[in-house]
Amino acid sequence: MSHRRSIKADRVLGCFLTLLMIASSEPILHAETNQELKSLSPSKVADYMHAIVEADRKIYTTYIVKRMQEQGIVLAKEDWENKNAIPLPAQFLHISSKLVAESGYGIRFRLISRWPIYRRNGPATEFERKALEELEQNPDVPKRGIVYTGKKQLFQAIYADKAINTACITCHNAHALSPKRDFKMGDLMGGIVITIPLED
Amino acid sequence: MSPIPYPPTRRKKGLTKKLVLSMLLVGILPLVIGLFLAFYQGTQEIQEVNGASFETLATETARKLDLVVSEEMFRTSLLATDVTIIAKLENLRDSLNELSPETRNQLLTHEQTAWETKDPILQKNVLDGPIAQILQRHMGGTFIDPGHPVPVITRSATRGMYITDRSGRVVASLDAAVSYLHQETVWWKGAFHKAVGQPYIGPVEFDSRLGTYVFTLALPIMDSLRYEAIGVLHRIYDVKEFFAPSIDIIRFGETGHVMLIDSRGVVLSCPILPTGTKISDDRLIPLVTPMHQGWTPAPSDGHGGTQSSIIGFAPLTNASQITQSSTGHSWHMFVWQSSDELFGPIQHFFKWTAAFGLLGVGLLMTLGYAAASRITAPIRRLQEAARQIGRGDFQEILKLSTGDEIEELADEVNRMNQQLASQFAGLESQVQLKTEEVKYLEASTAKILDSVPDPVLMVGMDERVEYLNKAFKEALSLQNDEIVGTSFFEILPLDPSTQTRLQEELRLLYGSQPHSPIQYEHSSAPATLQDPLIPANWEETGAKRQELRFNQRTYRYRWFGVPAKPGKGPSAGLVLRDTTEESLLQDRVIQGEKLASLGVLSAGIGHELNNPLVGVIGLGEALQEETDPAQIKQYAESIVQHGKRMASIVRDFTGQAGKQFSEAHSPININELLEQSLATVKALFPSCSIDVQTHLRTLPLIQGKAFELGQAFTNILTNAYQAMKKGGCLTISTSWSENNLEIAITDTGIGIAPNHLPKIFDPFFTTKSQGEGSGLGLTVAYRTIHKLGGEIRMESTPNQGTACLITIPLSPSLVK
Repeated sequence: MSHRRSIKADRVLGCFLTLLMIASSEPILHAETNQELKSLSPSKVADYMHAIVEADRKIYTTYIVKRMQEQGIVLAKEDWENKNAIPLPAQFLHISSKLVAESGYGIRFRLISRWPIYRRNGPATEFERKALEELEQNPDVPKRGIVYTGKKQLFQAIYADKAINTACITCHNAHALSPKRDFKMGDLMGGIVITIPLED
Repeated sequence: MSPIPYPPTRRKKGLTKKLVLSMLLVGILPLVIGLFLAFYQGTQEIQEVNGASFETLATETARKLDLVVSEEMFRTSLLATDVTIIAKLENLRDSLNELSPETRNQLLTHEQTAWETKDPILQKNVLDGPIAQILQRHMGGTFIDPGHPVPVITRSATRGMYITDRSGRVVASLDAAVSYLHQETVWWKGAFHKAVGQPYIGPVEFDSRLGTYVFTLALPIMDSLRYEAIGVLHRIYDVKEFFAPSIDIIRFGETGHVMLIDSRGVVLSCPILPTGTKISDDRLIPLVTPMHQGWTPAPSDGHGGTQSSIIGFAPLTNASQITQSSTGHSWHMFVWQSSDELFGPIQHFFKWTAAFGLLGVGLLMTLGYAAASRITAPIRRLQEAARQIGRGDFQEILKLSTGDEIEELADEVNRMNQQLASQFAGLESQVQLKTEEVKYLEASTAKILDSVPDPVLMVGMDERVEYLNKAFKEALSLQNDEIVGTSFFEILPLDPSTQTRLQEELRLLYGSQPHSPIQYEHSSAPATLQDPLIPANWEETGAKRQELRFNQRTYRYRWFGVPAKPGKGPSAGLVLRDTTEESLLQDRVIQGEKLASLGVLSAGIGHELNNPLVGVIGLGEALQEETDPAQIKQYAESIVQHGKRMASIVRDFTGQAGKQFSEAHSPININELLEQSLATVKALFPSCSIDVQTHLRTLPLIQGKAFELGQAFTNILTNAYQAMKKGGCLTISTSWSENNLEIAITDTGIGIAPNHLPKIFDPFFTTKSQGEGSGLGLTVAYRTIHKLGGEIRMESTPNQGTACLITIPLSPSLVK
């Protein structure tokens, strides 16, 4: 029974990841093939991507993880790969992010936080650190800007990531490596960084 | 009655053996069962306890090793996030991006050649450049991360470390013994991962240059934005040196240890097996390499041993996530201890328990024998007492003080003995009384038998005389009882044939039940053995009489059975009656009757023959004087007729007609024969006014002699006519049924007196006046009808008439 549930969960996850890939890549492909859309600003592209990423994560969190856990079918666990479990919503976003990155279009998105469970998920640059601080003050206004790695120019938009589900705050408040354990619903937990290359 | 012999006492100690055996069974069976259950349960618990312990040890060791790997990856990743290194690699990326692909390839080819030719400038940049110096400081323990000093062990296990840029060329290295370009290597592709970057842990491989088994850790170096991979940090570890410090120290017992294997069964580190070898039994691999912790009984130990063992296992969860994504393999801890050592304590316990059990069996047998002897000793005394009681010579009071049921049983035996003694005393007086009664009966019986005038004798199966009464002694002229015990046939002076007959009768008597009839050989009637005092019919006549003749006397005798005495065979009694005078008188009567019959016969024959003889004489005299030939012939014919008449008379008297006139059987019509006979008789009685009525039904033919049957009918009809001399009515009727012909001849004559009816078929019996009948007519008719298998009977009422009823059976083939 549990094995069958695992297969079911994996199938659901695969479908959503595929949907996410298609949804994420569709505007970019149009931008490359349609002259009218070439004038689309990176900021708009980032907004579209954020909306999709948020929607996907919300659907996964609300309609999959929550329902499956409530019905006792399968649990979402951090070490889901080694157990009969499905990824946590944050891991879902990491996995989809990796798949998008592996697609080769140069677009990246990732979760960052001032209180990351793992250090690699902390802000990588000063821009990201300041953005998180500003989002804490004004979470509804994303932070946007041009950033550089060497001579490479990229557009970054950082959106507020609030606690939208009890599973998120329960996990962060209970995790041994979590530096902050008093999250509440609606609190700013971090941000979603969307990075778009500005040159080939 | 003879006493019942006592059985031999060969089972003298049977109860003792049974008791000892029962004690042994009661003691040993639970012991053996308990021992095996304890051994089985102990083995199971040892398996479970040790399995759980092994699982825990494997889990903890895997977790510890996972932390070691994670820590190593973390420390190494500090190099990958070093801003100096990142900045340098970003510059190299930007420089290469500014070149055209051809120019870039030419540059890389040129630099590879320079590296292989050990170009000093290039080697200096790679081995002593700013990045290389960072690597050296890291390995020297002076890396700028005070909170995370590099452990000495991991430093010593490192066999190489270098950094490649986005194009895969080496930009910094601890030594020059590395290739320059790595863009096509598996580890580089795995870590760079299309510029996305992911950790890579390579498989355990033998490095021929280093002469040891190594594994590779490759970490991507991301740019300052963590946007893309701009290089790869490559580190090579000696497998044994990396893992041994964490694994080899964990030993328990003499053989218990942990080891690290991958999911192919290749040993990464083991205190016993060399790194790089596979475990000895491939069957263990699926058992011990699941992605969860546990323990399992295994068919072998994986170290070359073939004994079953218990193995605990656990995966290195975090490290396996990376190794599985890198090579498809996972890493697992394997905890094992040899079966001999593992199950040694329980086997030791089993051996000692078995030894103590055997000792206990010995003690149980000894003590059991003693206890059984104590139980059986009073029982033997009881047995001996019972035996003496059975013999009737037990006098003492049986005293047993066991304080249990046996003592109660002894008391019961004593009471039983007393009751038996008192009952035996009463029985003796009764026996004496009965004995006197028997003696009285014997004496009175002897007196009674002596007073009987008939001789009475009793003889045993051995033909020896057991008793004879006074009359018998007198008959034999004996004076005393010495004759008792001698042979029966010695005292009776009998001829041999009579002796044989008596012996046969005696044999039949002993072979038959008392009072059952004995069939005498020379008698048609069975002789019944009966009480000699019951009045017997001694008036039997002729051959039926049983007679003995001795001492010029004739005796009639009868056998009777005498019930056998206890312990002896049956006896037979013989009672005699002196019939000497009676026999003489009867013989004289018979002789007189015979003479009287002869007279009647002679008179009858004479009368019958006289008439035709007178006729013959008269015709003869006339014939002498007659000269007419015709008259002479007539006289001669008349003489012949008279001769035939006389011959017929003689034939009737002798009954030898069949011999003289042999006649063959032929089909006979009864009705015709009756009419012929009626005509003949009518001619004999022409003056009788008799009304004849015939009711003759058509009859089937029968086989027989017509002349004989016709003579029979003639005789019957003649009798009827003679009975109706004054007239009357004669009715002749015939009929037949399925099986018989029936003939009825009825007259209304004078009838037959009732006392004559039983004798009417006897020869020479007649009521007619002399010359009218020979007394043989109905005798001939009776004989003829019986020859045909039929029956004839007469029913008569005096002065009213007589009916002669004849029944002749029909042969089935003749019924038409």
